[in-house]
Order: sequence, then C-alpha cells, then structure tokens
Amino acid sequence: MEKLSSQQIAQLRRHLILNGSDESLLSELVDHMACEVEYYMWIGLPFETAIDKAMLEANSDAVGTLQETYREALSLKQETMAEASLDDIVFETRNKAYGAYYLRQNYGNSLRDALLGGAGFFLMLIGLISGLNQGKWSYMSLSGAMWLVGISCVAYGGFSWFIQNMKQKYMVVND
Amino acid sequence: MESSTSEFLRGVLKTIVLKLLAERGTMYGYEITQAVKERTKGQITLTFGALYPVLHKLEQDGLLVTKSVEVDGRLRKYYSLTPRGNETALQKVSDFERFMDAMRALLFPPSSLSLGHS
Repeated sequence: MEKLSSQQIAQLRRHLILNGSDESLLSELVDHMACEVEYYMWIGLPFETAIDKAMLEANSDAVGTLQETYREALSLKQETMAEASLDDIVFETRNKAYGAYYLRQNYGNSLRDALLGGAGFFLMLIGLISGLNQGKWSYMSLSGAMWLVGISCVAYGGFSWFIQNMKQKYMVVND
Repeated sequence: MESSTSEFLRGVLKTIVLKLLAERGTMYGYEITQAVKERTKGQITLTFGALYPVLHKLEQDGLLVTKSVEVDGRLRKYYSLTPRGNETALQKVSDFERFMDAMRALLFPPSSLSLGHS
C-alpha cells in the first residue's frame, strides 16, 4: 500500500488548519485523513483525486461541527469548575499553548521579579551616589549596605526572571 | 434512512466504541470507523466528526487511555480500555441488548396475543 510523503501530509495539515481544526484534534485528524487518502489510492484513484475526495469530506462545515460537538462534550464539568481559576475558564476553549495562558498564570511572579529588580536598581544607584559623595567607600556604611541590598535584589529578580523565561521557552505542552 | 441512522447512532456511539475496544484491545480512530463499516456492510458509517469527540470524552472520563505512536511520518493515537472502561463496556452492551429486546417487543408484538383477542 502506497504511503503519503511528508509534503502530502503537510498539505492535509494545512487544509485542516484552514478549515478550523484546533490543536487538540489536529494530529489525529491528519492521521485519519491520511489513512483515507491512502485507502482511496489503494483502490486505484490517483493521488490528486484521492486527496480532493478526502478534503471534500473534511470541509469547513464538517470540521466546524466537529469542533462544536467536541466543545460541548468536553466542556468543564461541575466539579472541575469549582476548582478552576478564572484563567482556566477564559482559556477553556482557547489555545493554551500559544503563550497567553502561561503569561497570565505567571503574572504574579513576573510582577515580583520586576519590582525587586526595579527597587534593587534604585537602591544601588542611591548607595553608589551617596558613597561617592562621602569620598571613601566602605561596605559597613549606610551607602555600602544600600548597595549590597540593591545588588542582591537585582540579582534575585534577574535570576528568577531568567529561569522563568527558560521554563517557558522549553516548556512541553501536554494539552 | 441516512438521517435517522445518524440520529439513532448518537445514542449508541459510546457503546459501539467501548465494545470494539473491548474485543480488539487497541485501536486508532480510522481503524474504528473501518471496523464499523465492515461489520455493518457499509450500512453504518461513523464520520470523524462524531467519533473523535466521543473518544476524547471517554478518555476524559477515565474509561480510555491513549498512546501516541509515530507511523509513516505522522502521529497516530491508539486507544485502549482502562479496567473501569472494561466494566462499562460490559454494562453498556448488556443494557443495549435489553433495550433492543424491548424495542423488538414494541415493534413486533407476538401475533398469538392479538389473535387471542379477535
């Protein structure tokens, strides 16, 4: 039995995306359509006819109905609703992998990092200026202490921000 | 025929899917549609639009587990029953058998009874 090439599979995937299939069903539907096309080719149709026939069956109406049925069948149930956050509800039928869901969920952390970094930078600056004004530098003085506190705040905020960024970059999305 | 078939089908889709998986162990979506088509000699065809929501729903309810395998350069998702899914499959099939008996009795009342009254 003849197998589809990766370009032909990509063509199916494009067709499904254009007709409104979302991430949760996409790879499965691609496989489904590919099986169909291979079957049509096996019974003797040329590739172009086979793929046209499969695409006609999976037109935007069919995919739209599918998405709607899917949403109804899998909508949040009463018990999961109780512990769902506002973000979960807002993003229930939306693409979570796109990034906005992650940004919203980590808004608190980002705010903390930004505040720490900002305040720390300010302390460093003040410490430096007043230290320079006194003419001699000592870590034991008030300006020295401000410099130390500031630099550790900036370091903590920056490091935590960096870690979070890395996490998002290499995050594996399960759903 | 076509429209009433899909209407009837909606109520028994879960039963069909569970029953097939109970027999065959592991199947993927297209395989299920083909099995249904073969067994009913083309009288019942599952569309992908009807099948996949049911499969995902059953998975969400903990009756099915899935495994994705790469086949011919694309991801194929295989479904199989959990122990609870197995129980549900048995239950659903026997429930449906009882229902079919009841329907048969409803549609074709035993003729001896009606003769007795005339």
